[in-house]
Formats: sequence, C-alpha cells, structure tokens
Amino acid sequence: MSTKFIYDLDLGKTVTKNRLVGLLRMMKGYYWLYIGAILALAISTLSRTGISLVLRSFIDDVIIPSQYGTQLVLIIIIFIGLALFQGGFSFISGWLAAKTAERVTQRLRNYLFDHLQRLPYAYHADAKTGDLIARSTSDVDAIQRFYGEQAIGIGRISLMFIVNFLAIYQLNTKLALISIITVPVIIGVSIFFFSRVSKAYEEYQEQEATLSNRLQENLTGVRVVKAFARQGYESYRFDQENWQKFKLGKKLLSIRSLFWPVSDIICGGQMLAAFFIGALMALNGEITVGTYMAFSTLVVLIIWPMRGLGRLIVQTSTGMVSYSRVSEILKQVREPLTDGEYQADSPVKGEIIFSDVCFEYEKDNPVLYNINFTCNPGDIIALLGSTGSGKTSLVNLLPRFYDPTSGVITLDGVDITKYSRKFLRSQIGIVEQEPFLFSRSIRENITYGVHRKVSEEEIIQAAQFAAIHEVIEEFPKGYDTLVGERGVTLSGGQKQRVAIARVLLKNPRILILDDSTSSVDTETESQIRSALEHLMTDRTTFIIAHRIQSVMDANRILVFDKGRIVQMGTHQQLMDEPGMYREIFDIQTRIDVELEKEISSVNL
Amino acid sequence: MSTFEEFDEKDYGKLTGGIISRLGNLLKPHWKWVLGFLLCIATVSAIDSYTTFLSKRIIDEGIIAGSREAIVRTVFIYGGVILFQAVASFGYVYLVGILAERVRYDLRKNMFNHLQQLSLSYFSQTPVGWIMARLTSDTERLADLLTWGILDVTSAVINISTAAIFMFLINARLAVIVLVMLPILIVVAFRFRAKILYHYRRSRKMNSRITGAFNESITGVRVIKALSREDDNLEEFSELTEGMFQASYRAAWLSALFLPTVQVISAIGLGVVLWRGGMQVQIGAMTIGGIQAFVSYITFIMWPIQDIAQVYAQTQNAVASAERIFNLVDTEPGVKNRPNTVDVESISGTIRFDHVHFAYEEDDPVIRDLSFEVQQGEMVALVGPTGGGKTTIVNLLCRFYEPTKGAIYLNGINYEDIKLQDIQSRIGIVLQTPHLFSGSILENIRYGKLNATDAEIEQAAKLAGAHDFIIQFEKGYEQDVGEGGNLLSVGQKQLISIARAILARPELFIMDEATSSVDTLTEALIQRGMERLMENRTSFVIAHRLSTIKRADKILVIEDGQIVEMGTHKELIRKHSKYYHLYTCQFRQELEAQYDVLNKPEPDNEG
Repeated sequence: MSTKFIYDLDLGKTVTKNRLVGLLRMMKGYYWLYIGAILALAISTLSRTGISLVLRSFIDDVIIPSQYGTQLVLIIIIFIGLALFQGGFSFISGWLAAKTAERVTQRLRNYLFDHLQRLPYAYHADAKTGDLIARSTSDVDAIQRFYGEQAIGIGRISLMFIVNFLAIYQLNTKLALISIITVPVIIGVSIFFFSRVSKAYEEYQEQEATLSNRLQENLTGVRVVKAFARQGYESYRFDQENWQKFKLGKKLLSIRSLFWPVSDIICGGQMLAAFFIGALMALNGEITVGTYMAFSTLVVLIIWPMRGLGRLIVQTSTGMVSYSRVSEILKQVREPLTDGEYQADSPVKGEIIFSDVCFEYEKDNPVLYNINFTCNPGDIIALLGSTGSGKTSLVNLLPRFYDPTSGVITLDGVDITKYSRKFLRSQIGIVEQEPFLFSRSIRENITYGVHRKVSEEEIIQAAQFAAIHEVIEEFPKGYDTLVGERGVTLSGGQKQRVAIARVLLKNPRILILDDSTSSVDTETESQIRSALEHLMTDRTTFIIAHRIQSVMDANRILVFDKGRIVQMGTHQQLMDEPGMYREIFDIQTRIDVELEKEISSVNL
Repeated sequence: MSTFEEFDEKDYGKLTGGIISRLGNLLKPHWKWVLGFLLCIATVSAIDSYTTFLSKRIIDEGIIAGSREAIVRTVFIYGGVILFQAVASFGYVYLVGILAERVRYDLRKNMFNHLQQLSLSYFSQTPVGWIMARLTSDTERLADLLTWGILDVTSAVINISTAAIFMFLINARLAVIVLVMLPILIVVAFRFRAKILYHYRRSRKMNSRITGAFNESITGVRVIKALSREDDNLEEFSELTEGMFQASYRAAWLSALFLPTVQVISAIGLGVVLWRGGMQVQIGAMTIGGIQAFVSYITFIMWPIQDIAQVYAQTQNAVASAERIFNLVDTEPGVKNRPNTVDVESISGTIRFDHVHFAYEEDDPVIRDLSFEVQQGEMVALVGPTGGGKTTIVNLLCRFYEPTKGAIYLNGINYEDIKLQDIQSRIGIVLQTPHLFSGSILENIRYGKLNATDAEIEQAAKLAGAHDFIIQFEKGYEQDVGEGGNLLSVGQKQLISIARAILARPELFIMDEATSSVDTLTEALIQRGMERLMENRTSFVIAHRLSTIKRADKILVIEDGQIVEMGTHKELIRKHSKYYHLYTCQFRQELEAQYDVLNKPEPDNEG
C-alpha cells in the first residue's frame, strides 16, 4: 500500500435526521461503485430470465418442430453465453457492493477513531467506555451489513421480482397476475415472523449475557468459592441460568420452526396454483409447452426469494438503529488542536499567571473560585488540600482539558486560549497518580509521546533517570516486554517510573505531577523521589501533593479548601502564620514523640 | 458475538477417531432427537427431489398427453406432498434447534462443574477470558457442527442421491453426464470455501485488534491528549483498518466469485445435457418434461454441494474448539482427595508446618523450608514485604495448593489425608479485596451458610458491625450490591464479607487485611468485626495495621519465602532488627494518615 487510505470525508457533516438519507450521504464518493453494483445485478437478473426464455425457445422451436442442427447449436451457444453473462455480472455486482461496503465502513472506522480522540476531554469524562466501544465496533459492523447485505439483498429480490414478473407478463398477462397473488401475504408473514424472532432473540442474547456474567463472577471469585466450599452451590446457580437459556432458546425455536412450514405452505401453494392454471392453459392451447416451462421456472424465481425479504427488512431496522447510535458520536464537535491566534516559535519559558479564574463542571456548581497566583519560570508550585478541594480541576485547566468559566490564564504573558492546543500540550508533561500505559512494549510506551525516531541510548538514558532501567533489564525480554492490559505485569511503582521516563523523553517545559507514593514501599519511594527530582530540574512544576514532605521545597505552596486558595506562600512563610498548613506540620513532630513513647513502653 | 476471541488460538484440528467417538458420546443421550431430525431432514430433502419429478409428470402425462385428469391428479399429489414436507420441515428445524441448545447446555454444564473441581493453580495460570471463550464461542462452534453441520451434510447427501436416482429413472445417459460434472463442482466448492473461511478468520482477528485499539484510545484518552499522540495513533489505526479491509474484501470477493463459478460450471453441464437431451427426444428416449426435470436438478444441485463445502470448512475449526474443550474437561485438579482419607470431626487444634517447601514453577521456590507451630486459639500475624510469600502461606494453609516438599499437620494429622471438603468448609476467609457476587446483601451474607434464616443473617451482620449501614439503604438487606459488589465502598464490602465469614462459624479464620485506607469509623468497625471472629478461634492474619499486629500471639516476619523473625511484638521490638524497622515505618505512616487534615473524608467531587 503506497497511498494510505485514512478518510476523505467529514462524516460529522453528513449526519441528518432522516436515517436513510444519512446512510446514503455516508456513502459519498462511492455512489458510482454502488450504482455499478446495482446495474450489474440488473444485467445478471435479466440474463437469468433470458435463460428461461431460451429454454422456451428450445422446446417450442427445436424440440416440438424437431428442428435440430444449427438451431440447436445456436440455442445452446446463447444459453451458455447468457449463463456466463449471469455469472460474470453477478460476480461484478458482488465485488462492487463488497468494495463499497468495506471502504465506506473502513472510512467510518477511521473517522470514528480519530473523532473520539479529538473530542474534548469533557465528553470522555461523561461517556461510558463500554458504550463508546460498542458503538464504534458492533454498530459499525451492523452498518457494514446494511450496505453489504441488506440494501443489496433487498435490491436483488426486488429486481428479481420486477424482471421476472415483467417476463411472465410479456408471456401471458393472466399467468403473471396469478403468480403474484400471495406475494403480499408472504412478505407480511415473513415480516411478522422475523420481528417476533428478533424480539425473542434479544431475550436470548440477554440471557447469554447473564450467563456469561455468572461465569465470570465464579471465575474471578474462585478463592471465595473454594474458601466456603461452595462448588456445589455454584454449580446449582449456574445450572439455573444455563437452563433458563435453554428454555429461551426453545421459545425462540418454536417461533422459528413455525415460520418455515407456514411459509413453505404459502409459497408451495402459490407455486402449485400457478403450475395448475399454467398447465391447464397449455392443455387448452392458450400457451405453448415452452411457455409453460419457462413460466414454471420464472415463477420459482419470483416466489421463493420473497420469503427472505421480510428477514432483510426487519434486519435493516437494526442497521438504522446502529446508524442513529453512531451518528450521535459523529455529530459531537471536536476540539480544534491546531487552531490558535498566537504562534510561538520557540519553547515557552514557563511563566504562568492565573487571574480571577473560576471554573465549574456543571452550571451553578463552581469547583474553583477566583483563583489568582503567579508562577515564575522554573518555579515549583505545590497544591495542597483534601480530595475534592479543586487541585485536580486546577491542573486540568493548564493543558486545556477544560477551559475556565471565567478569568484568564496566561503563559509567558499570552492567554493560553490563544495558543493552539497542540502546541500548549507539547509544552506540558503529566505524571498521573495511576499512570495509564498502553499494551505495547515498554520501549514503545517510553517513546509514546515523542513524534520522532528515538535512539536506543536516549531511551535507556531516560529509563536510567527514571530509575527503571535496571528493572526493565531484568525482564527476559527487556525493553520489548509487553505491558499487559492496564499495565498488569508491572507494579504500581514501576508503572509510575515508566511514565516518568515517558515524560523525560518528551522534555516539556511545564510539569504536572500527581505525587502519590503512598502505595509503594520505602525503597521504591526513594527511587521515585530521585526520579522526580531529575524530572523537575529547570521546569515549571505543579505538584498535587498528598503529604507535607513533598511540598517543603516548593517555591510556592497553595493550600486549597473547597475550591478556594486559603493560604499561599513558601514553607517558611506558612509556618509563620496560623492556619491549616501549620496544623498539618505540627502533626509531624507529634508523631516522632509518640513513636519514641511507644518504643520505650515496650522496652520497659 | 465473541468477545473472547482475542487470543491467538490454533484454529484448525484433525478429526481423529478419538475425537469422533467423544463427539458421539455428546449426542448419545439425545439419540431420539438425533434420529428424529435425521428422519425429518431426509424426508424434506427427498421430497425436494420428488417434486421436481412431479413437475415433469405434469408436463409429460398432463400437457403433452393432453390429459386434464392427469394434471389434476398430479397437482393433488403435489399438494399433499408439500403439506407433508411442511410438517417434516417443522420437525427438523425444531428438533435440530433444540438439540443444538441442549448440546450447548450440556457442554457448559460439564465444563462449569469440572471447573469447580479444579484447583487454584489452574486459575492462576489460565486467564479468565480463555476459560470464558471455551464456554462461549467454542461451545457454539462445536454444537453447530454436531447439529446443523450433520443436518446440512445429511440433507445434501440425500438431496444429491435422490436427485441422481430420479435422473437415472428419467434418462441414464444424461444422468451419467451430470455425475461426471459433480466431482468438479465439489472440488471447486471445497477450495473456495476453505479460502473464504481463511480470509474471514483473518478479518475476525483484525476486528478484535480494532476493538482493542478503540478500547485503548478511549480509556487512555487523557494521556493521548496530553502527549498529542492523535496523528500517530490515527496513522497506526488506519493500518489496522486497511488490514481489515484487505481481509474482509478478499473474503467478500471470493464469495462473490464462488457462486457464479459454480453456476457457470453447471450451465456448461446443462448445455451438454440440452444438446444430448434434444437428440434423445428425437429418438424418443427422452420427454420434454424430462428435459425440464434435468434443468431443475442441475440448477439446484449446487446448493447441497455448497452446503457440504461450508460444513467441511467449518469442521476443522470446530474440531479445534472440541480439542480445547476436551482439554479443559480432561485437566486433572492439582489438589484433590487422596484415597483412604481420614474422617475428622473438626480441624481445630494445633497447626504445624513441617519443613514446608513450595514452588509454583520448578526451580523457582516461593516458600523455603518453613516450620512453625500454632496452638489452638492463637492469633498469628504474617508481616513482611509484598511478594515475600505471605499469601502463599495462607493458600497452603487452606490447601488451595499443597506443599511441594514437607507437610502441614492439623491436630497431628497430615492434612493431605483429610478430605478437602472437610478442611475448606471449616475455614473462614476475608480477602484483601473482598469479592461479592451480584445479588442482594442478604444473598451475599447467606453465602456463608446457605440454610441460614434471615434472623441469623441479621445477627451475623450485627456482630460484624455491618447492620447499621445496611439498614440505611433504601431496600435494607435486599439492596443490590452490583456486579462484583461495585455499588458498595471497599469498607462496606469488607464488613459484609466479615459477616459472611461469621455466619459460616469457621474453626479457623484467615484474614488478608486491606491496605487501602477506609474511613476511620469503618476501620474501627472492621477491627471489631475481626475481633469477634477471632474469639476462641485459631486465626491467621496477613496484617497491615499496627493494632492488629500488636494483638497477635505470634508474629511471623516473612521475607523471600522464609521466616526471618518470629515472636511476640515485645520480643521483636527488643530485637531491634527487621520487625523494628517495619514497625516504626508503619507507625509513622499510620499516624500521618490518622492526623492528616488533608484527607478528612469528604465527598469526592472531582472527575
């Protein structure tokens, strides 16, 4: 593949209220291909009908008058020629339809993927992961089936009906009308049955999910099951759901197994009636034997496919529902990444000023009130406060995951909304409390944020600074070790250090750290601490602090309470004034005294 | 719908005699249904061939012979046959469908019951998703082969052979021509099907990778935005969709080519038949109706052939599934009852570890030469760094695993001589991350004693200190806990699992204390609940809280699978060694947390 196909159409703009129109507009660029598929289908259908008419001629012009010789050869040549036509065009039709369906859904997948990663963070914070994935995968599959199977299938059956009906009509008007009497009944019955089936099928699928959940709970809770020796009870409970599924399957079946004989009888009866009347007409000389034969093959082509039409029509409704679900994502507005009035030509220095910044996630429920502070390039700003006091919300404003409700944040004197998000984010590095690693190799995780080729030495150096190199070397596959889903093969502390290496390599001017070392043991803690020191050198740093030790070196400590900055200053300044900060600090000294007491009590 | 297909599995297998007989055993108990659907489908297929023959008679005996009466008679027979066929169709669709459901049910039941017998080592080595796939997609595939697969093949064989019989009846010479064409059709169909399935499978694999990519980009969206990885990601993703396009387009292309190819081959055969047939009519060896019949037989013969090819292609796949299923069912539990077990009334008494060694994998010992003795009613605290072997010791004690060397004695009896059930039903465990089952709180506590009355459950909840928060729920004890208990807080889950253990009245109590902090009130409740459980019972606690550790009668400091220090709190503090360091470090952390004005529990508003 020399030219890579990504997407060439802004699908967000194709969304309309009318779902069929929307599906049609989504096909833009492939109209001719799809029309070609339908035309080829028409030619193929015509050829198929032609074959029956040739058969008629074979009987009436060759067999009955005993005109063998050139006549026979000619007919056989035409016959095979038509068969080749039919086959060839049926192939072309299938090919073009598949290409359209596959390309349109490929474009949709690419677009959705890109769309999701470019939607604002606020959208993701509210959306459910599982739901978004279902919409991007199984709903897209349903749309693919709409183009590739249902739409074209309905087209095929309709064409067969029209062409063959016209052919019979041209043979004999009366026969034509007789052969389609029950067609509406057949369609009606099949729609009725298949909508019933699809309802029963939903129930069945739900039970399948229940069963899977029960199984999964049993497997993940295996220690509890064993600890209480509840194997028998578990088997009993599983069997209940299992049996329920069997029963629902039976219910589904009874509907399904009724459809076939009922439709068989209607179709068979219709066909037989046509045969009967046709045969009588042939007997009376109203039509020729050849015509009767052609008719009896054509009538089969009209009636039997009708049984499938109901199923296809019912299925298209799932395609439409899926389209609605997908279009709900498509019509969301992306956050522009590259738009920005101000073009910075060099990395920023890192002077940040918050002026009267207020922020709320929901209307009238502010989480930050009038935040004002200045931070010089290279400063360390520590944010101290309880959970929910606004620390995380504040740092979310810097990379513009959210924008302030009012007030201005400037970076190097320029309003941050004037920078492009892409540039702004390239200047900021984030180390989260529970870093997210991707299921790729450790090497790829470390180089994840740099958009260039990175030498092995650089990667190792970053890992060394992050105090993770030796750990990685100990893995059998070293840097090529795959990180399990959500980094399960690495411990929390190790993940954090990989994330530090990732940020080191990115080399941003501004740093946001969620300083959480509480879950790791002492040794790891000191390693992470030294890694962080490396990271903070010469960068403007924001630390979300959970413990007082990590804020003492900060140039400025912001103490948060309920969305407000209640104290601000250096460690020394804050120690000199009464308030929350000093209270916290005093505890430290108290602990040492208590420990002393505790130990000596033992030694008595 | 298979969410668990993401593993790279072998997807073809050979149908050996052994497998065939095991597959046969799956159908054996339901032989009546098998016989029923086989008879029904055979009837339906034979009638299909017969109706074509009836059409011929309408033409020859009716129209050509000029007999109105023959037409009426044949049409009546035809109508009767169609009705009869409809009944048979109902029969086969219903029977084969119900059989398929039943085979699935049986397979799932067998596997599930077997899974309950397998020991913990199996589950620690086997991903949950892998096991789930055996009970879902593999079960579907195998059941399909055993039911619809057999049905399709039977139908095809009967269809082709009855059609052949009728064709021979009509005209032997022409029938031979058709029979010559048959192998060509079969070879072509098989080849196509195998190829289509290959590409189809490739596209399924790409599809699961695409799902994975969506999953990661959605869950990791914050990192992606922070690192501005959008363009690179799209580039990578578009390679996946291109791969998906190539595979599924190829499969669709081949499918589009498949039927026309078969049709053209049959058309050529038909051309020959018309040509020779015309001649035969001339010499009176063939009728017009006969020609008509040949035309339909040849036109429709490709369907059964394509069905057989389809089954053939799926068989390899389904056999691979069968192998995996049999593999699971054949797995021997690592821990099971020995022959000649001793019956015991109780397991309370002394517990002795005698030079116990344990390794999950050979040459990688986790527990090395562990010996200690615990008296009835004592409380043992296990402390030490993560990965030191504390959990393994507890697992050995519960006999989730057995020592690779050495032995564990309960009351002087080697516990491997006691029935597993007798040991495990007398142990109560509270895990670090408590696992609840979806359902109500009541049901979850009752898990400890299935025949407990509601009053007993309430009593247990009160003892555990869970009662007060439970009754504050809108539905009280009927409150739903959510999947895995995720509607409750960690502390609440722990209290409920303590109540569950209290209800079970175990003789030996094991607790893995939670490391994560819960609020002070809940913490105190948990401590009290634990104390209740430990009264007059031997207990083992993987301890993280100082208050727990200090209360222990015996503290084992575990490092690298060995006991590095053992004694009471006072003894070990005086030693001024490992335990002393652990203790002082923990002391600081706990007090910091306790005094931490920052983390006074407050509602969490942040996203």
